[in-house]
Amino acid sequence: MLPLSLLRTAQNHPMLVELKNGETYNGHLVNCDHWMNINLREVICTSRDGDKFWRMPECYIRGSMIKYLRIPDEIIDMVKEDQVQRTRQRDSNRGGRGGSNQRGRGGHNMRGGLGNRGGKNPRNPLALKKSK
Amino acid sequence: MAAGLESYVNRVVSIITADGRNFVGTLKGFDQTINIILDDSHERVYSPTAGVEQVVLGLHIIRGDNIVVVGELDEAVDSRLDLTSLRAEPLSQIVH
Repeated sequence: MLPLSLLRTAQNHPMLVELKNGETYNGHLVNCDHWMNINLREVICTSRDGDKFWRMPECYIRGSMIKYLRIPDEIIDMVKEDQVQRTRQRDSNRGGRGGSNQRGRGGHNMRGGLGNRGGKNPRNPLALKKSK
Repeated sequence: MAAGLESYVNRVVSIITADGRNFVGTLKGFDQTINIILDDSHERVYSPTAGVEQVVLGLHIIRGDNIVVVGELDEAVDSRLDLTSLRAEPLSQIVH
């Protein structure tokens, strides 16, 4: 499992983010990107020594400033579900493509090029209809 | 071994970070920048005057920038340690 998939799954959940300078930010994750840049809402910022606090409605944190993120334990199980679902989807797609549908189409359609490869939906829906 | 961290996945690991802290938990995942998912984690706080304090933390994503050492923990050896009687200076942080 990738750390950033876990982070993406944690969207809309509360978390604690500690920065390299020791400040911590408590809030709900709104959004994150490939660089771990994150958007938090309803944030409480705590100073390095834990003696000063600031509240802010939202904030944006540059990924490279982050030391670690503490997220709720149950999030890790939600990622698993996502992954299983995606794998199942991929497998069922594969099954469909390999079936009789494709063989029926093989004749004249292959001349049209490889346009349909890999895609869930054929680019030319007519091509499918014709073969049936 | 050659697979890097792959062989540590779902094992208990001990991680030392650039600020001198020690985290112990189950390695659930990592990426090319050594960002790490640590599940069921706790921090071990060392002190020269008191036993090792274990702070329960739960699920963590530790950013790769901040990671110095990842090592597999021998749970058999670790469970024989008496952490309450262990005294140690805490590690100092890396100064750039």
